[in-house]
Amino acid sequence: MRAQRMQRTLLSLVLRLLLLCTVATGKCSGKYHELLLQLQRQADLMQDPSTLLDPYIRLQGLHSPVLQEHCRERPGDFPSEDALWRLSRQDFLQTLNTTLGLILRMLSALQQDLPEPTNAEMNVRGFGNNIHCMAQLLSGSSDPKAAEPTQPGPGPTPLPPTPPSSTFQRKLRNCGFLRGYHRFMRTAGQVLRGWGERQGRSRRHSPCRALKRGARRTRPFPEVRRLAPRGQPPR
Amino acid sequence: MRSSTKKRRDPMALFAVLQTTFLLALLPLRTYQSEVLSEPLPLTPESLNVSINSTKQCLHLQWTVHNPDYHQEFKMVFQIQISRFKASNVIWLENYSTTVKRNQVLHWSWESELPLECAIHFVRMRTMVDDARIPAPRLWSNWSSWEKADAQNSLGDHPLYVFPKDKLVEEGSNVTVCYISRNHQDNISCYLEDVLIYGRQLDQNVWAFEFKNVSFIRKTGTNFYCKGQGDPEGVVLLVSKVLEEPRDFSCETQDLKTLTCTWDPGNDTGLIQLPSYTLFESFSGKKTLCKHRNRCDWQVTQDSQEMYNFTLVAENYFRKRSVSILFNLIHGVHPMAPYSLFPKSVSATNATVTWKVYSIGSSSALLCQLQLLGEGKVIQQHNISVRVNGEYLLSELKPDTEYMARVRCAYADHFWKWSELISQNFTTAEAAPSEAPDVWRDVTFVSGHPTVTLFWKPLSKVHANGKILFYNVVVENLDEPSSLKVLSVPAPANSTKVTLNQSSYQIYVTAHNSVGPSPASAVAISGHPGNENVEEGRMNGTEDGFPMSWKPQSRNATGYVVEWCDSPQHLPCVLRWKNLGPTNTDTVISSGAFRPGVRYNFRIYEISTKRMAHLLEKKAGYLKELAPSYNPKVNMSNLTSHSFTLSWKDYPTESQTGFIQGYYVYLKSKTGEKCHRGFEKTFLTDNSVCCKYTIDNPDQKTFVVKDLQPESAYEFLVTPYTSAGEGPLDDFRKVTTPDEYSHILIHIILPMVFFVFVIMIICYLKSQWLKDKCYPDIPDPYKSSVLSLIKFKENPHITIMNVNDCVPDAIEVVNKPEGSKMQFVGTRKSPTETKVGCLGQDNTFTVSLYSCDGITVKGYVEWEFLSGLAGALSLWTNVCQAPTCCVAVFSHARVPFPSLCPTTLNVYLSYF
Repeated sequence: MRAQRMQRTLLSLVLRLLLLCTVATGKCSGKYHELLLQLQRQADLMQDPSTLLDPYIRLQGLHSPVLQEHCRERPGDFPSEDALWRLSRQDFLQTLNTTLGLILRMLSALQQDLPEPTNAEMNVRGFGNNIHCMAQLLSGSSDPKAAEPTQPGPGPTPLPPTPPSSTFQRKLRNCGFLRGYHRFMRTAGQVLRGWGERQGRSRRHSPCRALKRGARRTRPFPEVRRLAPRGQPPR
Repeated sequence: MRSSTKKRRDPMALFAVLQTTFLLALLPLRTYQSEVLSEPLPLTPESLNVSINSTKQCLHLQWTVHNPDYHQEFKMVFQIQISRFKASNVIWLENYSTTVKRNQVLHWSWESELPLECAIHFVRMRTMVDDARIPAPRLWSNWSSWEKADAQNSLGDHPLYVFPKDKLVEEGSNVTVCYISRNHQDNISCYLEDVLIYGRQLDQNVWAFEFKNVSFIRKTGTNFYCKGQGDPEGVVLLVSKVLEEPRDFSCETQDLKTLTCTWDPGNDTGLIQLPSYTLFESFSGKKTLCKHRNRCDWQVTQDSQEMYNFTLVAENYFRKRSVSILFNLIHGVHPMAPYSLFPKSVSATNATVTWKVYSIGSSSALLCQLQLLGEGKVIQQHNISVRVNGEYLLSELKPDTEYMARVRCAYADHFWKWSELISQNFTTAEAAPSEAPDVWRDVTFVSGHPTVTLFWKPLSKVHANGKILFYNVVVENLDEPSSLKVLSVPAPANSTKVTLNQSSYQIYVTAHNSVGPSPASAVAISGHPGNENVEEGRMNGTEDGFPMSWKPQSRNATGYVVEWCDSPQHLPCVLRWKNLGPTNTDTVISSGAFRPGVRYNFRIYEISTKRMAHLLEKKAGYLKELAPSYNPKVNMSNLTSHSFTLSWKDYPTESQTGFIQGYYVYLKSKTGEKCHRGFEKTFLTDNSVCCKYTIDNPDQKTFVVKDLQPESAYEFLVTPYTSAGEGPLDDFRKVTTPDEYSHILIHIILPMVFFVFVIMIICYLKSQWLKDKCYPDIPDPYKSSVLSLIKFKENPHITIMNVNDCVPDAIEVVNKPEGSKMQFVGTRKSPTETKVGCLGQDNTFTVSLYSCDGITVKGYVEWEFLSGLAGALSLWTNVCQAPTCCVAVFSHARVPFPSLCPTTLNVYLSYF
């Protein structure tokens, strides 16, 4: 068992290094729609409870209706749906990136409690890379700094939930966290699909053209803000 | 409930040893002091402090004893009382004996089965000196004051708590869980793995649940939780399976440098925390923590230690298991498998194999076992002593045969265990076939010339010694020795056809592989057909095949051959034969292709010294006779009111599923009459009754059913029978016998019908004559035979009335110039006058038309007599042919006027 855990840790480490290497040397796709579609698919994949939440519930014996009722997302763990819809594209991507960092830390802590093998961590990292590419595409920047891969690292907010003292409470807490994770990814997917729909409706405005137009202005993403679904609070 | 003193014995034991040593050292002093301590010392425990260890669920007591004599140490007994909820509720009383030194701080622990957080505990104690140096009476001191242990003080303000947190227990043990509800109004429900359970109330707000003999559910623990108004609270019981004692603990070495000890750890304890395994060697005093749960490596030291006393200790939170073995290094050598095993110099019958071994030590040899396997079986086995390289010559091998060479080695100084096997396949080279092919022939004569089909059996692998490439057939004409005919038939063909003339021949067949030919098989053929008129005998098959015997014809026979077809029902025949020696006069022919219900025909030949075959006998038989599978198609004929004839001449008796011994004729009558002579009453499978007639001659294929009732319905069936039974009884045909007189009627009616038919033909052929005779267009009363008859029979005076004697009442001519058929062409004029004359003597009358050039006239006459008789006649036409004719006379319009005079005679004319 200990050996398996060691092997798993080693494998995880190797995969991380490989991923870092790929990200460091890989180039982002310059095709907006292709990237957006990829992000949507990744979000769809990660919102599926059968990938993490369901196995966790089964493994921890939390399937009773009483416990299911209390396996719920805690407020503050993830940005709400309203908040995500209100964000500009730039801020949305930034929020996603930050939240993915939190998710990665939680997944790492949960590794022992999850059935193996799970690709959740790899999925999160891949999603983060595409978010970076999308951010780069939207900014239209050739700045090497901007081209750096967005590593879903420790963000300023939110902080990871404090682990409860007892194992039972930790089980419920993790369960709620995973439920929130899937909800968050589902909402993120919907927002990303909203991008595609609005882009389709305003086909006359090519994102690149719009962004180039915006780049000539002082505001970084004016068109993006204009396209934000529920308006953008003045800064 | 148990005391912690019982649990962790190791530190206590160490402490006891030290204490004993210390007391022995102080013995002289103690002897001196015993004289001083002459009175009992009522010592009271002081500074009793009670603390709670939530992790271990223990109450920890700490106290001192005031000893007025600073140099004394005493053996004392401490009686400890523990109460729960209230001081008066004593739940535990224990005497704890120990030796007390001056100012010593004493400790004692007590593990509670009820989580300490769920109840307030009270502790007090008293002491008594229990030392031999102190004279009796020994009195208990006063009780100390009650000390309170209240873990609830440290709890927060949650409405519900469940304890103990994260309890680690062993499968099969008992666990008590409790909850504290701060809200008395709250209705708390508790569940163990989704099952609602009910506990025991300990206090106003405390409930306990006792689980006996807990079992392992999952690695992540068993969930127990309670739910009130708010969020659920719960605990996870981490249940560990009982740690098993390692089984099959053994050690071995492959190279005398490293020992590998292995064992079967048994079932997993099921917890994330794995048990540890430690290997301890008592002679060297060394130990190592094993990295695997079923294997441990031990480095052999350089000091030539041969004997090892290993103890393997498996340990987890609850248990410690150990097993030991005494191990001699030399006796546990399990060499590594040899390597580089190769065959070399492989011929048809020999091969040399080489291999290498890993050396053990500097001078040790290995005993290697070389096995040769053919078709999966060990056929040779050799033991060879090897230091580094092994080599062995394998002989007596078969050509073109695949072999497997296997090698394993063991430590030669002390055999303990073979190494793993390594193996290598090789195939020996080919050699010429060692045996002549088994050849037989089938001779047919076409226009007096023999056509020989030669058959041969493929050589067995043992005799082929390689892949047979072709067969050579040499035909030698014995009458013309110089003429040889050579045929080459490529493999895998097993037959060829040769057309010969009427000479005698000797045919030789050889099989060839890549190395050379086999010995030849010879067959002699006579140019003339032999005696085929041999009567066929019958025989019965058995489970083993067809046993048969024959009588030799010649004393010089070199052998016998029995031939047959494996599947005679399928064409062409697959010819089989069996060679038998000259002394054999019987054999059993068996074949996997033989099937029950199939007729097999065997021909037995005698082989002469000149390899000529003469037909001895023919035999036919069934491996097992079956009942006929179908019935013959029966024709019914000669049906009369009392009999009919059945025949089934097309039914082939030769190709049935058994020897046809005869036929049964079944007859059923609707009326259920008695069976006729020769029939016997029988019951069919449907319990119906019918009559059965047995024909015991298989060649009789007709049968007359007699003595039947006229106008009766019968059903009949003809079915063959063999020794195994009769055919299916499911196709009865119906027949109804005719009326007894119907044949007579037929004899009368048929000629009559024929006669009428002839008459009709004659009438048709003579219709004109008949018409003229019987019903002419214009009847002539004078020519009427009827009239003559009347005249002759009834009234000889009756005569034909002369119309001239009649005076018609009126004669009227109606012209219809507007009639649709009235046509006037050109300038023709309608007739201006018509005149109908009176009937002439011959019943004619004349109509005169004027200006009727080229007119066609049609007339219609009707008449009526006074007697009421009336008639009409559409008759005559005439054409005025002469242009100058202006009068058309119809002189031949005949009216069948009898002698009566018509009262009215109307003549209508139309002309066009």
